[in-house]
Amino acid sequence: MAIDQEFNPQFNPQAQVADTSEGIQSQEMLLNMGPQHPSTHGVLRLILTLEGETVTACTPVIGYLHRGIEKILENRPVMGGIRYMDNSDYLSPMLNEIAYVGAVEQLMNIDVPRRAQYIRLLVGELQRIASHLVGVGTYIADLGAFTPILWTFRDREGILTLFEALGGSRFNVNYLRVGGVLHDFPKNWLKECEAFLDQLEKNMVELETLVTGNEIFESRTQGVGYVDPQQAIAYGLTGPTLRASGVNWDLRVHRPYMAYREVPVNVQVRQEGDCFARYRVRVQEISESIRLCRVAIDKLPGGPIGTRTPIALRPPRGETYFAIEGSKGELGIYFISDGSEYPWRAKVRGPSFVNLEIISELLRGHRMSDVIAILGSLDLVLGEVDR
Amino acid sequence: MHILLADDVGTQLLHGILSWDFLQFVVAFLSIFGLILTSAVILILAERKIMGWMQDRVGPMHTGPWGLLQTVADVGKLLLKEDIHVSSADKLVFLVAPSVFMAPVIATFAVLPFSPYIALPGSALATGLVFLVAMSSLDVVGVIMAGWSSNNKYSLIGGLRSAAQMISYELPLVLALIGVVILTSVLAGLPGYPSYGGQAGVGTISLVEIMKFQNVWQNTGIPVLDFIFRGFTPWRWFILVQPLMLVIYYTCGLAETNRAPFDLPEAESELVAGYLTEYSGMRWALFFLGEYGNMTIVSAITTYLFLGGFSGPGVAYLTDLNVPLWGWVGNILALVYFVLKVYLLCFVFIWVRSTLPRLRADQLMQFAWLILIPVTLANIIVTAFLYLVSDSLHLPAVVYLVVLGVVNWAGLFGFVWLVGRVTVSTTRRAQAPAIRAQLRSRPGAGVSTPVPALPLRDAVPARVPTLPQGAGVAAHRE
Repeated sequence: MAIDQEFNPQFNPQAQVADTSEGIQSQEMLLNMGPQHPSTHGVLRLILTLEGETVTACTPVIGYLHRGIEKILENRPVMGGIRYMDNSDYLSPMLNEIAYVGAVEQLMNIDVPRRAQYIRLLVGELQRIASHLVGVGTYIADLGAFTPILWTFRDREGILTLFEALGGSRFNVNYLRVGGVLHDFPKNWLKECEAFLDQLEKNMVELETLVTGNEIFESRTQGVGYVDPQQAIAYGLTGPTLRASGVNWDLRVHRPYMAYREVPVNVQVRQEGDCFARYRVRVQEISESIRLCRVAIDKLPGGPIGTRTPIALRPPRGETYFAIEGSKGELGIYFISDGSEYPWRAKVRGPSFVNLEIISELLRGHRMSDVIAILGSLDLVLGEVDR
Repeated sequence: MHILLADDVGTQLLHGILSWDFLQFVVAFLSIFGLILTSAVILILAERKIMGWMQDRVGPMHTGPWGLLQTVADVGKLLLKEDIHVSSADKLVFLVAPSVFMAPVIATFAVLPFSPYIALPGSALATGLVFLVAMSSLDVVGVIMAGWSSNNKYSLIGGLRSAAQMISYELPLVLALIGVVILTSVLAGLPGYPSYGGQAGVGTISLVEIMKFQNVWQNTGIPVLDFIFRGFTPWRWFILVQPLMLVIYYTCGLAETNRAPFDLPEAESELVAGYLTEYSGMRWALFFLGEYGNMTIVSAITTYLFLGGFSGPGVAYLTDLNVPLWGWVGNILALVYFVLKVYLLCFVFIWVRSTLPRLRADQLMQFAWLILIPVTLANIIVTAFLYLVSDSLHLPAVVYLVVLGVVNWAGLFGFVWLVGRVTVSTTRRAQAPAIRAQLRSRPGAGVSTPVPALPLRDAVPARVPTLPQGAGVAAHRE
């Protein structure tokens, strides 16, 4: 195919023929793990060059989910564009919205009231839990266990029900506004939230009992896909992928924003750097997020939930970069405004896009079954990669 | 041509149909074809419902009350599906492969006895175990034929992988069964046990006879005790003497039938599609019916060899009364006990599938060759050695059995511990370069590394008040 020759620098019509020790000629095989595949977590295409069962080269081809979100944002007023950010990382829409409105607030020097900041923290941490549940569940399903994914999705239903009560929609809630949030909690929402968190803790214990000590799971994930910290920083990895390699870097702690300036976060770091460490970091982050949600509910201040802003916001001329700790890593918005109500440019720094870069280096030398394990442990969301 | 019939052929027929023998035959036919050969049908629905309950959902509910007619709907759909033929060179092999896979499964059912009387003519086959192992070896042929004739390199690789898996796990399977055969030859000729040819040390490989070794009871004369325990002596069941072999046989059975955690050939999320990709409709269904049939066979053999077969309270008492009605009731009871035990083991199959993730291909092979075969060989040596010791010391057989049981139960827990240790050590070894690299790079102590010395690109200010002069003066909307 023409596209293979275009994108794969190692593609050679006369594939490399090597002589093995017995004098038999062996040929490298080109395998297309196509955009339609149950385990690529979206429409990611990997062109693998295999020597027997071992991967010698890998070229990812992306763009199958490109929807032009950043271009659309340029043609919508700021408030109208918030809802498009939901579609970027479709598994954690609230966090995307927080990044976008935070960038505009930073440019306009708007102070968000404290109550709105705590609400954003609570909603963001719930969204982080939901995203990690999906990541962990689908990862284990790729490895062949059929039960944990259904348990994690059942738990995620609790969060989605809470969001539905809060904002009217389970997934893409469009709840955040520049200056605050849309409206306050409905009656009894906080009680239901606390009940859900209690139940979730019990369910997480059950999940860990099933999965974490399992010898089969451990032998498939430990030692596989090792990323050392220097390599991780050189590639610009962020999020759980980085923290699993021993680097203590979390934007909520090292570049605090909104309510994280008052609420401390325990950063979950592991030293091993393999797939098992990335899985463990996500599971531990779920527990940490549960704790943060409880802290937010306890310390929730009273007051207004938003500063009044005009509907047709006109940010002043200027540019700014605002980054939050999203569920996949550093989610940043580089926002350039030309003074009108439409943004001049809103560039999204998608953490999955940056984390994807390491795949071609990481897969080299691993077997075919390990490809699935490594891809799942990076927790990529193609919506964020392609936008 | 003139066909002469006897004068009273009508009454003979009537007497024949209205006899207990005919009734037994009808019950045998219906039960075998209803519960055992078609256990695949029941197991498909059972699997979906039970896996659903384990996953906190209900499974199929729509077809029939509580989804009980789901398999009927499935089979109907599969029969009506278009029969896609692959345009490969070996068309005959492609068409015949599902039947070649299914045939040994059906042949095996011929030698399984379900009840003291209800049995097909072949079930008293003296070479029962050898026949069964031979039939399970023939399954591999069907798999290779399917993988080859699909004309698809991924199916070929999948078929070869599956064949390698099935062949590798045949060995520990057979070696696990040899432990039981040794037990029968040790116990033959002792009081209460059957004896063959009057020689010492001659055991049996026939399934019916192995069951007799597990159900030995001297009549005490008390009717209640006799009723319950005649033919039902759970303390003599071989599960108490050789549980490790049960576990290993069962695990090899999981691998033989391509069930989780050994279901690499059927995996949807793996790279290689598997040997049954190109099959659609009823041909695919034949493969799956063969798989569920194999599941039933493995459970059935486990029941015969370790759980006493169709023994249960009241069976032998009733059948030995020589009264047709009670004998018939006894046979039905035996069938019920047998079916219960087999389905309990099939439930464990389903339970394991919903719990464990999948093993990688090389880990699978390692497990068979490096762990299971040495353990089964060691068990054979230990069984024979203990007999040698107990015989030279002229200890009664009970002592031998008890000691062997203790050693085996300890071996079972030791086996589980061994697998855990092996996994940990291999993964630690796999992690060693990573841990060493990190220890090298870290300057001092401390659990979490601080932000490393590489300069971070943090020079972007939080807010730039004005755009640089002359930048971006293209038309913008106001």
